[in-house]
Parts: sequence; C-alpha cells; structure tokens
Amino acid sequence: MRPSAAALLLLGLALTALVAHRLWAVGALALVLLAVCLRAGRRAKPYLWGTLFSAGFVFLLSPLLQSTGYHVLWSGPDLPVLGQVDVTTEELRIAGINALRLAAVGLAFAAYALLLDHDRLIAAATARRSVLAAALATRLVPTLERDAAGLVEALRGRGLPPEGLRGHAALLSPLLAGSLERGLNLAEAMEARGFGRPGRTRVPAPAWQLRDYGAVALSITAIAVAALWL
Amino acid sequence: MALASIDKLTFSYPGAAPALRDVSLRIEDGEALLLLGASGSGKSTLLRALAGLVPWFHGGRFEGRVQVAGRDTRRTRPAELAGTVASVFQDPEDQVVLGGVEAEVAFGLENVGAPPREIAARVRAALEAVGAAHLEGRRVTELSGGELQRVCLASALALEPLLLLLDEPTSQLDREGAEAFLEHALGNGAAVVLSEQRPATALRYADRVVFMERGRVLLDAPRDDAVEWLDEHRPAWTQQPSNSLLRAGKETVCRVERVSFAYGDGPLVLDGVSLELRCGEVVALTGPNGCGKTTLAKLAAGLLEPQAGSVERGGRAAFLLQDPGRYLVRERADEEVALGGDLAAARRTLADVGLVGCDARHPRDLSSGERERLALATVLVGDPGLLVLDEPTRGIDPERKRELAALLRAQAGARATLVVTHDAAFARAVADREVSLVPEPETVLA
Repeated sequence: MRPSAAALLLLGLALTALVAHRLWAVGALALVLLAVCLRAGRRAKPYLWGTLFSAGFVFLLSPLLQSTGYHVLWSGPDLPVLGQVDVTTEELRIAGINALRLAAVGLAFAAYALLLDHDRLIAAATARRSVLAAALATRLVPTLERDAAGLVEALRGRGLPPEGLRGHAALLSPLLAGSLERGLNLAEAMEARGFGRPGRTRVPAPAWQLRDYGAVALSITAIAVAALWL
Repeated sequence: MALASIDKLTFSYPGAAPALRDVSLRIEDGEALLLLGASGSGKSTLLRALAGLVPWFHGGRFEGRVQVAGRDTRRTRPAELAGTVASVFQDPEDQVVLGGVEAEVAFGLENVGAPPREIAARVRAALEAVGAAHLEGRRVTELSGGELQRVCLASALALEPLLLLLDEPTSQLDREGAEAFLEHALGNGAAVVLSEQRPATALRYADRVVFMERGRVLLDAPRDDAVEWLDEHRPAWTQQPSNSLLRAGKETVCRVERVSFAYGDGPLVLDGVSLELRCGEVVALTGPNGCGKTTLAKLAAGLLEPQAGSVERGGRAAFLLQDPGRYLVRERADEEVALGGDLAAARRTLADVGLVGCDARHPRDLSSGERERLALATVLVGDPGLLVLDEPTRGIDPERKRELAALLRAQAGARATLVVTHDAAFARAVADREVSLVPEPETVLA
C-alpha cells in the first residue's frame, strides 16, 4: 500500500475512534491499532508507554473532575474549587471511552511514525515543506530516545549514573540543548543542499493501485458508520 | 579564471573574535586542496564561506569577497550555490534529512531541479561511485558511521558539483575506509577542498596544501613544498610519533575471559574474546570498523554484561564514549568536570588537558576538539583504576594528539588504560601494547 493511502487510513481510524460513542467499538479499534503497532517490535516501546501513560492519566483524572450520573460508587471529600469529589458509574464509562479514544489516536500516530515510509510520503505530498517538517518532527522521538540513552551511558561511564526521578529529570535540559543543536546543524546541511530553492523537481511516483483506493474508501466508510451507528 | 577565489576575507561570528583574518585563496578547476591546521584555526569557517553558509546561515561580520563559479557569495544564497558546490560535513548524523538511502541521495537532486527521469539513474551512479551500491533499500538508521559517511558523499557527488567541500569526512573511518573514501571523493573531476586532522593519507592525494593558524593562512604551497615546510615547522603533522619507553604492566586490573556478546537478537559481535589489562600499561585496541572494539571496551568497563564468559575488575572504571561532546550536562566547563564534586580538582584537570581559561565557558560554546578534551577531563578527574577511551582523537589535531598521548602516558602508572582507536599513529605514540580485533594473534609493540 502507498504510504499516503496508509496515512489516510490511519487518519480515518483515528477520526472513527473520536466519532464513535460505544465503548466496545472504540476498544476494538484501539486493539486493532495496537496489533498494527506491535509489528514494529521493540521500536514501538516508547510510543506504547507514552500512549498508555496518557490514556491512564485521562482515565484516572477525569472522573474526579466531572459531576455526571446518579450511581455513586465512591464519595470523596468536599474540596475547594472542585467541590464534592465522587465517582459514579457514568463518569467511569465516560472516562473509559475518552481514555480509549486517546489511546486509539496515539496508536494511530505510533503506527504512522513507526511503519510508514516517510520519504515516499514527502515525495507524494503537494505541500512538501510542511510534510517534510512533520516527517522530521516524527523522527524526534527516536532521536531523543537515542540521545537520552547516550547521556545516561556517558554518566554511567563517569561512575555517576543518574538516579531516581530527579536525576533523570536533570537530563531534560541537556537533551533539549542537544536537540536544538542537532536541529541547527540539520538546517545548515539542508540549506547547503539547496532546500527551499525555487524550481525543485521530484522523483516520479508510481500510480495508485486498487488497494490504495480501497484503503481510502474503508477510511471514509468507517467514519460514516461510526457517526451513524457506533 | 579560478573556479573559486577568496579575496581578503575577514569574518567574525556574532559577538566573537575573527575566525578568519585577511584570507586570500584561489582554487582552480579539478584541483585537490588539503586544508590543515589546529582545532579552531578557521578551517571549517573557510569551508562554510566557500559554500556561502558564512555569512548567510551564521550571520556575523564579513569583509572581503568570496566568488564561486563567478558568483559572489554575498549576493547568492547557499541554496542557489547548491549543485555548483556540494558539502560533506564532519558528522554524518547531523546532515541526513530523509530515512531511506536512495531518497537521501535524491534529496539534493530534487532541490536543484534535476530532470525527474534522470534522478534515479544519478542516485544509483553516485552510490556505485562511492562503493555503496549495496546500501540501496536500507534505512539510514541501520547504517554504521562509515556507511552513513559514504551515503553523504554520494549525496554530494550526485549533484556533479564543480567544487566539493569536505570537512573532516573520514574522522569515523578506519584507515582502509578513509583511503577508499578519499579515492572516491578525489577521483570525480571536481575541485576538492578537504579539511583533515589525520593528514598522512590525505597528503598522498592533494595537489596543494594550505595550513591555517588562528584564522590566517600560514602556508599555501604545492604538496611537496608543503611537506618540506611541515617537516621543518610543524613536524607533528608529517612525522609518525613513536613510544620509545615501553612498559610492562604490573598487577592485573581487568581480566576479560572468553566473552561473547550480541545486541538483542542480532548476531554475535564478540565470540570467545579475552583481554587482560595491567596497572601501569596503556593498551591500544585496534581493528576495522564494526569488528566489536567498542563492545569489548564497554564490557571491560562494566557498561555491558557479557552473555558468556567473565569480566573481573579491580577498582573503579571510567569510560569515555565516542563523540562525547554530545553528552555534556552542565552549563560551565568546570562544573561539567566536577559534576557536584571538587571544583578545584576539576580546574586542574581542565588545565591538564589544555583547556586553561575555559572554566566558565559553556561546554556547547567550545569547538568540537575542545569538547573532546573537556569530555576527557570528565573521566580523568576521578583517578579511575581503569580508564577506557573510545576513539579519543576524533576531531583533535596532531599536535594535540601528541599532548594527549604524553598526558595519558604520564598518568599511566597509577592505572590501566585501554584506548580504542583506528588512528594508527596515535596508537604507536601512546601504547605499550596493541591488541588487534582482527583474526590475528595479539601483537606487542616493540
């Protein structure tokens, strides 16, 4: 399948998850996307942790911030600003569906970042500059992960491994500085290689196949079905 | 008319002292010009001036004139010079834009408006020209430093430039790899300006040599004349140093016995390898790119655990990574070295590695060679029993390499030192013993 068709399909599935209202439908979609992501093997790990953490955070926090439903499962204290803190069955259901929606969107992005050929996506794009920026941004996660591992290894080599949350948090600033430095170097190399010059051409791309059109049709159908029945 | 000319160029980066002072130079069609000089002498800035990146990309104060193929670089953006000029920078990881090898090589061709039907053929031809045709279809993230450097050279050669600018492009390559790279780079008919810190190989290919010092051109001469001048005035650049006092080690500090190691589910990088490091000796670990030198060094230092075999260590080990300048964590050089410890000791160590007066500077404001020395100070400061250095001479000029060798030898008595290097001259200068990770028995330098 062409990367542009695959990207549209992933976008369609993410939108479907946002439009659907039934817990089982959103859950099934998240499971499908999880299975797709797992094809990337160990590279998927930071994306899966990030998605799990975000979705878990939404699930745990949102019942405490809402006041919906009559079937109270737990009554908490009366807090300033928040008022009466309690958890109802309805709030849990809403929290569950929102967490699953977030998980589905995160997993769709992970599949895009891990499994698609971004070079071909850029080549096919009309707005090449924007798509190139998006593709470079997508590479940020694995690059940061590699740099972070390098920082930790350098400190271990000095006999001073970072310890605890505070020790690791102290690495954020040098990590960011290194990332900015790398970005500057890359921008310089791109300028030297003619990026942004008028009159650019592109390698001829092969025509769309039936399955590419099928992926786009499936994506539109999934959104429509979710909007009407799910 | 010369292909490129620099007339009385003086340039300062914003808020800094001049990096280039009154530089004049002419480069003829097809000429191979070797640019030598200590770290911070202005070589990289000169290359950037020829590419138009100075002053367009960096800003700063620019006096004088640079013309390339009849175009004034003050009036022509670097992107417009691309194609006529092509650059390969020191660190390949910082210049790769796309994810696939072919797409990466095609990137520049697309930008300069090459006819679409020619692009694939030119990409293939460029990869073949640098001996990297076998990399087609690979992802750039899977490539070694040497392979990536070849892809960068292919990206430059695909443009069929008139002027090829190479900034220490062989710093990550072993000797054979560096020779092959230079043969490919210099055999394409383009004029080449090559900056190098390991001049022995490059001198064989150069027509002319320019030696820079503190932003000025100290020498501009044909190769043979330049070699004579270097022999007389800057012998570190041409003469192979040797270690005249070989020492036998005392008690064993680290014993690696029949270790095997593989990364993840990959193939074995090391299989049944042994190594013994004794107090008082410096051991050079050599071998071609990808033979497992770094892995063995990490096992010795305790950064990796072997999957088979054993590692015994007495005392604390310190390990200096390849490219350590990337992994600095504090905002002052002395604090970086001390890392919460003794600031006075940190400043003494900075002085030992030649960074006098740099205590308060931000590590990321230092040149690449200075960063390497700062990183070296970070591992020397704790007086480790076992010191392991992985390619410590990358980006360091020959005079500094001599100083580094002298420093390591002066401090060697108190510890065991393992130096991983593909710099044969440095290995000879520093080591009492060389262990080669090719299928040959251990050899002792004598």
